[in-house]
Amino acid sequence: MTVASESPLLERLKAVLAENADLYHAQQILDWDARVSMPHAGAEARADVASTVTQLAHGRFVSDEVGKLLDDLDAEGHDADSVEGALIRITRREWERAARIPSELAGEMVQVSGVAVAAWDKAKAASNFESFSPHVERQLELKRRYVACFPETEEPYDVLLDEYEEGLTTAQVEKIFGRLKGELVELVDRHRGDSVEEIAGPYPVRRQQEAGRLVLEAFGYDPESWRLDETPHPFAAKPGVGDIRLTTHTNESDLTSLFSTMHEFGHGVYEFDIDPSFARTPLGRGTSSAIHESQSRTWENLVGRSRGFWQWFYPQLQGLLPDALGGVDEGSFVRSVSAVRPGLIRGDADEVTYGLHIILRFELERELLAGTVAVGDLPEVWNARMKESLGVDVPDDARGVLQDTHWAAGLFGYFPTYQLGNVISVQIWDRAREQLGDLEEQFARGEFSPLREWLSEQIYRHGSRYRPQELLRRVTGSDIDPEPYVKYLHAKFA
Amino acid sequence: MTDPKLEELKQRLAESQDLAKAATLLFWDQRVMMPSGGAEARAEASATVSRLAQERFVADDVGRLLEDLRGLEESSDYDSFEASLIRVTRRDYEKATRVPPELVGEMSRASTLALAAWGPAKAESNFEALRPHLEKNLELRHRYVECFDPPDETYDILLDNFEPNMKTAEVREIFDELKENLVPLIKEIAEAGEVDDSFLHGKFDEDDQRTFSLDVVERFGYAEDEWRLDQTAHPFMCTPGHRDIRLTTNFSPDDLSSLFGTMHEFGHGVYEWGVDESFARTPLHSGVSLGLHESQSRTWENLVGRSRSFWRFFYPRLQETFPAQLGSVDEEAFYRAVNKVQPSLIRIDADEVTYNLHIILRFELEQDLIDGRIAVADLPEAWNTRMHEYLAVEVPDDAHGVLQDMHWAGGGFGYFPTYALGNVISVQIWERAKEDLGDLDERFEQGEFGELRDWLREHLYRLGRKFTPQETIERVTGSPIDAKPYVRYLREKLAPQAV
Repeated sequence: MTVASESPLLERLKAVLAENADLYHAQQILDWDARVSMPHAGAEARADVASTVTQLAHGRFVSDEVGKLLDDLDAEGHDADSVEGALIRITRREWERAARIPSELAGEMVQVSGVAVAAWDKAKAASNFESFSPHVERQLELKRRYVACFPETEEPYDVLLDEYEEGLTTAQVEKIFGRLKGELVELVDRHRGDSVEEIAGPYPVRRQQEAGRLVLEAFGYDPESWRLDETPHPFAAKPGVGDIRLTTHTNESDLTSLFSTMHEFGHGVYEFDIDPSFARTPLGRGTSSAIHESQSRTWENLVGRSRGFWQWFYPQLQGLLPDALGGVDEGSFVRSVSAVRPGLIRGDADEVTYGLHIILRFELERELLAGTVAVGDLPEVWNARMKESLGVDVPDDARGVLQDTHWAAGLFGYFPTYQLGNVISVQIWDRAREQLGDLEEQFARGEFSPLREWLSEQIYRHGSRYRPQELLRRVTGSDIDPEPYVKYLHAKFA
Repeated sequence: MTDPKLEELKQRLAESQDLAKAATLLFWDQRVMMPSGGAEARAEASATVSRLAQERFVADDVGRLLEDLRGLEESSDYDSFEASLIRVTRRDYEKATRVPPELVGEMSRASTLALAAWGPAKAESNFEALRPHLEKNLELRHRYVECFDPPDETYDILLDNFEPNMKTAEVREIFDELKENLVPLIKEIAEAGEVDDSFLHGKFDEDDQRTFSLDVVERFGYAEDEWRLDQTAHPFMCTPGHRDIRLTTNFSPDDLSSLFGTMHEFGHGVYEWGVDESFARTPLHSGVSLGLHESQSRTWENLVGRSRSFWRFFYPRLQETFPAQLGSVDEEAFYRAVNKVQPSLIRIDADEVTYNLHIILRFELEQDLIDGRIAVADLPEAWNTRMHEYLAVEVPDDAHGVLQDMHWAGGGFGYFPTYALGNVISVQIWERAKEDLGDLDERFEQGEFGELRDWLREHLYRLGRKFTPQETIERVTGSPIDAKPYVRYLREKLAPQAV
C-alpha cells in the first residue's frame, strides 16, 4: 500500500473508520469491565453509558457522508482484490446493514442487554428463570424489530446469522447440522456404557492458574500485551492493538478452566496476529464468528486434547497437582479428558456431545423467534430436549436454560457458529498437517510456534480482508464441509 | 409538569455525561488493568471519546436550549434543581465552547502518551525521556489559554479548571499565610528532637495490609457492591458510573503508607458517592471542585485517620495483624510516629505540615513554566534548588524529585494548589461538624464513623455541583475560605508542646 498515491477519499474514509474503531474500543472496555471488574451496583449506569456510545457510533457511521464516500470510492475503481478494495467492500457491507437500523434501536439493544446480563447473573445464581424471562421477551421483541429492518430476507433467522457469518443461511446450517446430528447421536450411543474413570480433585485454584499460564506462555502469550482474568462466563476481547484480554473461570472441583483458557487463547491469538496496518479499520478483526471459533477449538481441542500436547504437559501438570494426579498415568488422564460423557453444561461438554448442545439451541432460537415456543415454556422444552438428545435429566434451570449468557446479551444466531467452528477447524487442521508434518511430535517437545506461524500466515494476519468462505477456500481449497470433521470424530471416538 | 426544553437539555446532558464516564473508564483501565502494549491504541480511543463528548456538549442546539431556558431559570428558586442545572450547565457551556474539540482531543492524546512515558521515565529516573512530552503539554496549555479573554494572570485560566472562580492572587495570599506560619513551625518541631518511627519500616505482608485497609474503609462506608479497591503505582479515585466508585492504592511491602493513601482515596470516593442521586447523568453529579474534593480526602486521611481516637479503636487490631512488627510498640508511640513531622522528598509521603510546602513549590514552578520564566529543560535544577530552599533536603535523583508526580504528564497544570486549599478547607468544615455533632472522638474510639459521614453527606456531599465552590464553603461553614483554622489546628496538634 503506497501512501503517496492514496486517494483523499480513502483517507477520509479511514478517518471515519478510525473514529468508529475508537468507539468500538470503548465499547469493548465497557463490556469487559462489566464482566470482569465492575461492582454489581454499577450495572444500570453502565447500560446507559454503553447504549450512548453505541448509539453515537452507529449514528456517525450511517451518516450520508459515509454513503457518499463509498459511492465516490466505487467510482474511483479500486481493485477488488487489493487491501483498499477489501476495506471498501467490507465498509459498504457494514454501512448497508447499519443504515437499515435506526440509531435508537442500536442503542436500545445495548441498553437492554446490559440490564439483561445483570439480571441473568442473579437469575442464574438463584436458578430462577421467572425473574429472567421478561428480559428474554424484551430481547426477542428487539430482535424481531431488528429483523424487520431487512424485509427482503425471507427467513428471519438468516438476518441474525448474517450478522456473525457473512452469507451463511439457515438452510446451509440445517443441512450441515442434519448431517452431524445422526453421527453424533450414534457416537454418543456407542459410548453410553463407557466406564472411563473420572479423576477426583480437588485441584487447587492457584495451581490451576499457574498451569494455565505455563501453557499460554508456551503457546505465545506475552504479558506485555495480554491479560488473563477470572470471570463467571469466559470470553476474549481485543479493545485495541497490543491489548488482548482472555478470561477463564477456575473451579477447584475440575480442570475445565485449563481447556477454556486454551480456547480463549485461540480467539486471542487470531486477533493478536492480525496485520497491524489494519488497526482502526474494519479489516483489523477476525473475519467471522465461525472462523474465530475454528481457532479457539483448534487450540482447545485439536492441540489441547491431543496426545502430543499431553506428552509434553502432563508431567508438569502432575508436578503442580501431585495430590490429585500423582497416581494417575498419562494414558488414563488423556482418556479421561477426552471421554464422551453426556452432561448438562455446553461449556464443559466433550467434543462429541458438544454439537448436540448447539443443535438444541439452534432449533430453540428459531422457534422462539417464530413464536412457536413461548418464553414461558422454555425451561420445560429445554429439559425435555436435553433428555431426548443427550439422555440427561436437568435438575434446575441454572444448569439448564439459564447456563449461557448469550440470550441475555441478545446474541441470537451466534450459537451455530460454535459448531461450524468445529467443522472448519478440522478442515484447516488437515491442511496444516499436510504442510507441517507431524504436529504431535512437535507438541510433545513443547513446540507450538510452527503451528502458530502457519495459522498466522494463512489466516490470522489477514483479519477481515477475505470473506469467511473465501478465506476457507484459500486455505483449504474447499467450501465448508462436515466430512473431515465426521472423519476426525470417527477416528478419535468410534 | 416538567418543561419539555428542560427534558431535552437533560437528554443531551445525559449523553455527554455517558461519554465522559466512558472516558473515565478508559482512564481507569489504562492505569489499573491495561497491558502496556495497548497504550498507543488507548491514546487514540481516549482522544476520540473525549473529543466526541466535547463536540456533543458544545453543539449549537445545547446553546439554544440554554437560551430558551433562561426564563425557567429566572423564575425558579436559585436553590432549585432546575435553576442550578441550567446555571451550572451554562457556565460549563460558555467555557467549553471557547475550546475547539480538536484541541480537546489533542490534549487528551498528548497526555495519554505522556502518562505512558512518565512511568518508565520515573522508573529509570530519566527526565529527558519525559521532557518532550511536557513541552508538548505546555504548548497545548498555551493554546488552551489563548481560547479565553486575557486574564489577570495566565495561570488563572488553568486554575479555573480545578478550582472554578478562584484567582491565582487569592491562592498566593493563602499560601503566603501558610508559609509564614509553617516554616517556623517546622523549625520548632525539628528543634524538639526526632520522633522514632523506625517500626513503621519493615516487612508488612501486602495481603494483610489489604485486609486491614478494607476493614477500615468498610467502617467508613465502603461496600463491596458499589466500590472497588485496586493496586496501582500512583493512586487515584474515579467513578466510571453512578454507584461505581473505584479507589486505588499502592501497597508497599516495606511500610504502611498505603493505609493512609486508601483512607485518602476513600474521602474522594465518599464525596462522589454522597451526591444527590437524582443528579445522576447531569453535570451536577460530582464534587464541586478539587479543593473541596481534597478537603474530604484529607478529612478522612488526616483529621480522622491520624487522630488519637481513630487509633484508640484500630491500633489493637493493627497490632494483631502485624504482631511481630508492632507487638511491642505502644499506642502513643505509634500515634506520634504516624504524625511525625519531618522534611522529606516525596509529596505523597509527606506529613501534614511539610506537605503544604511541597505544594507551594509546585504552584510556583507551574507559574514559572507557564509564564516562560523557566524552560522545561531547567525544571530538574529549579526543583532541586527549591526543595533545598524550602525543606532543606537534597534531591538525589529525578525519580525522587521532579518525576515523582504524574500531574504534569497528565496535563494537570493548575491542579496542585487544590491539595493545600483542601487542607485549609477541611479544617473549616471539620470545626463546623464538631459544633453540630459534639464529641466525635468518643464515637471514633468505638469504631463508629457513620454520624460524621452522614453529616458530611447532608451538609456537603449531596450538594454536588449545585453551587459554586465559594458558595458551597459558605453554606457549609458560614464563612469564606480562611487559612486560620487550619494553621491553628496544625499548631495545636503538632507543635512540640502539644505532642
